[in-house]
Amino acid sequence: MDSNFPSEKLEEICDDECQNKTRIFCQRCPSLVLSPKQAKLVKKEFFLPNMFQKNDHTPIEGVTLNDFWLVTNMMTFDNVGFSKAVDNIMYLICADCEMGPIGWHSIDDKKAYYIAVARVKHG
Amino acid sequence: MAKTYDYLFKLLLIGDSAVGKTCILFRFSEDAFNSTFISTIGIDFKIRTIELDEKKIKLQIWDTAGQERFRTITTAYYRGAMGIMLVYDITNEKSFDNIRTWIRNIEEHASKDVEKMMLGNKCDLQDRRQVSKDRGEQLAIEHGIKFMETSAKASINVEEAFFTLARDIKAKMDRKIDSTGPSKSAGYQLSGKDGSSSKKSFWKSCTLL
Repeated sequence: MDSNFPSEKLEEICDDECQNKTRIFCQRCPSLVLSPKQAKLVKKEFFLPNMFQKNDHTPIEGVTLNDFWLVTNMMTFDNVGFSKAVDNIMYLICADCEMGPIGWHSIDDKKAYYIAVARVKHG
Repeated sequence: MAKTYDYLFKLLLIGDSAVGKTCILFRFSEDAFNSTFISTIGIDFKIRTIELDEKKIKLQIWDTAGQERFRTITTAYYRGAMGIMLVYDITNEKSFDNIRTWIRNIEEHASKDVEKMMLGNKCDLQDRRQVSKDRGEQLAIEHGIKFMETSAKASINVEEAFFTLARDIKAKMDRKIDSTGPSKSAGYQLSGKDGSSSKKSFWKSCTLL
């Protein structure tokens, strides 16, 4: 589930301009993260810690993801939470159930907020 | 890209530690997930979108997240805040007493016309109650602010509280625009059909208060 998105699936969720066709929800609860046509699909390699960690003691486990929805203004989000910054990265979470990370933002780039395609629900 | 909202309000949650401010950070879901990774690093703020009188309002909600322990809440934190939720725990007398201190802190550091509201949280814990609802109401009246008892855990009044605060900020802003905006465009609006309908919605929001 937490791997990269098959390209045929990507066509279903993005329009001709590479914007999100559908609304974007949390995978776990009904919280709306983004409304249609607010984000752009981009290829970008980024390591995101797993949403389910085994325990606090092992090193952080995660995966490198490639497909992200890019939002250029944080106020574009309908609902989202920001973690505190760790090494200049703020992790994005569901504003309701706090599931995450569902994406990330580097405090060095005020115009880029990334939501992992594989960590949200489209519909 | 077109602006997707009509208003943007920055809100702060203020109060002693452990009164449940973090839970009040708009957790509508009953079963918060609390991923170990996220709970270890902590949450900075949340963006929420609500609708009031057919207007889209973005709320940016900040939690002091422990800073209060070190008394480091200063002007920087209050900058730009339009609304403040003062939170105490109904099972903790001390947190209620400290509300007065917090109000003084706000008067010292925050903008003069910041909208305030007081919440007595954890109202699901009746058997451990130390502060009666009446005392909460009295203190709120004394400071001329609104009051509600909430339970973030049982999802009582949390959503309502944010809607009330947002509605009050919006009403205040609309009044300000009305009084300070004798500009040409406002004049046109008032004489036109749109003007009368927006007046109506203004009164509608007033009667709701």
